[in-house]
Amino acid sequence: MRFRFASIAGLVALIASADALGASPALKPFERGTWQAVIKGHAGRPVLVHFWGVTCGPCKVELPLLGQFAKDHPDVDVVTVSADLVPNLPGATQAMLDKAGLSSTENFIFNDGFVERLRFEIDPAWQGDIPRTMLISREGTITTIEGSAEITDLEKWSAQQLSKR
Amino acid sequence: MIRTGLLAIVALAAAQGAALAQMRAPPASEAACEEPTLRCATKATPAFGPDGTLWLVWMAGGQVSVASSQDAGRSFSAPTQVTTKRLNLDWGPDARPKIVVDRKGGIALAFSTFRDEAFNGEVLYTRSSDGGKSFAELKPITANNESQRFEALALDQDGTVFAAWLDKRNRVPAKEAGRKYEGAALFFAASRDGGATYAEAAIARDGTCECCRLGLTFAAPGRPAVIFRNIFDGGVRDHAVITFTDIATPGEIHRVGTDDWQINACPHHGPSLTIAPNGTYHVVWYTNGKARKGLFYAHSRDEGRTFSAPLPLGQPGRSPTRPFVLAGPAGTVMVWKEFDGEKTSVQMTISRDDGETWSPPKTISSTSDTSDHPLLVSNGKRTYLSWMTKADGYRLTAIEDQP
Repeated sequence: MRFRFASIAGLVALIASADALGASPALKPFERGTWQAVIKGHAGRPVLVHFWGVTCGPCKVELPLLGQFAKDHPDVDVVTVSADLVPNLPGATQAMLDKAGLSSTENFIFNDGFVERLRFEIDPAWQGDIPRTMLISREGTITTIEGSAEITDLEKWSAQQLSKR
Repeated sequence: MIRTGLLAIVALAAAQGAALAQMRAPPASEAACEEPTLRCATKATPAFGPDGTLWLVWMAGGQVSVASSQDAGRSFSAPTQVTTKRLNLDWGPDARPKIVVDRKGGIALAFSTFRDEAFNGEVLYTRSSDGGKSFAELKPITANNESQRFEALALDQDGTVFAAWLDKRNRVPAKEAGRKYEGAALFFAASRDGGATYAEAAIARDGTCECCRLGLTFAAPGRPAVIFRNIFDGGVRDHAVITFTDIATPGEIHRVGTDDWQINACPHHGPSLTIAPNGTYHVVWYTNGKARKGLFYAHSRDEGRTFSAPLPLGQPGRSPTRPFVLAGPAGTVMVWKEFDGEKTSVQMTISRDDGETWSPPKTISSTSDTSDHPLLVSNGKRTYLSWMTKADGYRLTAIEDQP
């Protein structure tokens, strides 16, 4: 009984602290080295990394479709990175992810004033145009889709990945 | 058991609190510091005065300031603050304060602020007639209060100050008529009193890209020329040039090249234009089109009607970015940034035959943290690189006069 009470009290404290800070605990800072950590962390699994931003028009259209894709394909690890060319506020970023059904995916936000370095670590040829989707196969092969991705192409890639199991 | 449970929860709450606190802090700053001083500037724009004085306008700590240098940027006068309070200055990647200095030493400035959180902007202008000691009260460049951003200023031989900017006023009638409106419009206004007042704004072109800097210069007295990212049929955001037939009359639009970059988004990466005394247009731009990707150079020898085949610039594996071109006394110079994984360098190439051939690119400056766009400025005798960096401060570097 006391244990349960302690747990509840702790949980309330946890929720209160998260609430007081006003940001979602799900949004992680994307910093130097994060890209390699993401690749290592998901090694051996098909991963879809989606780069987007709050101020990007086509991203607003694509994000909910991606949310549905993530729901329909639990075998694909979906990762999102807010990489806007203008800095995004965490609150607005999380709100758009929540609305798109992407609250429970692994979500990052660029957090380095030297954005050239972050982009270079991901792809030296990338100038920051979004949306951009990078598909990482089980073997680590990266396929990049510049601009909005066609969901049918993602379905096809996902089916290929799953057939390799 | 109970204690363990509690401790675990407390530890979790603390860890999460720390992570959240980190995310609640402002985004990692591009500025070295937050004061209005030059050392803290994220954007700095140069102009030489008629007496060889270098003038610099910069944004730092939410304020716009001006100072001058008599020793080619090694030291600066005490700055004059143009703004009287901290403003929500346009901090978009392609935004910066603008400056022109006329033959009498009058200084005209313009810059953008954000009106709201939806990135709607307002272009403000001011002028100093006492050698930069004081500036007139800031005024909006147009009475329209929709959105203006990405202003550019150019000075005509007779002292007329010409301003162009991207303006979203036409989205209102489009919305009322139920029509889709993409991008913005290119607007302009001229000032016959050195930038103290501007004529009523007029439109040069509707349906331009809304968030890339303009390139603006004079092709001949009374004839401004502007390069901008246009929206062509099918949402293709390629570059175009308009040369005015007189200060109030925009000429026809001419496409620089067919890059075929169809994108319904803001590239935040605008072009640059210079016109040599013999009338050759030199242009540089960035595209990620189907036909070509990266930085490109082209020239026009028929007043901006047709352009040479695009020449790629920079090493594709080093993220070449932010190109700038200036026809100066020693030749036509281009600069751009490259990044090697650790350092950003400014690459320079020069042409002494009006853009036919170019020297091998050479690193003329580098820095190990974030930096402003590299700009070129000339005092009529030499061309200089003007570059604001977070780690190393402001730099003015003479372009070496060698083959």
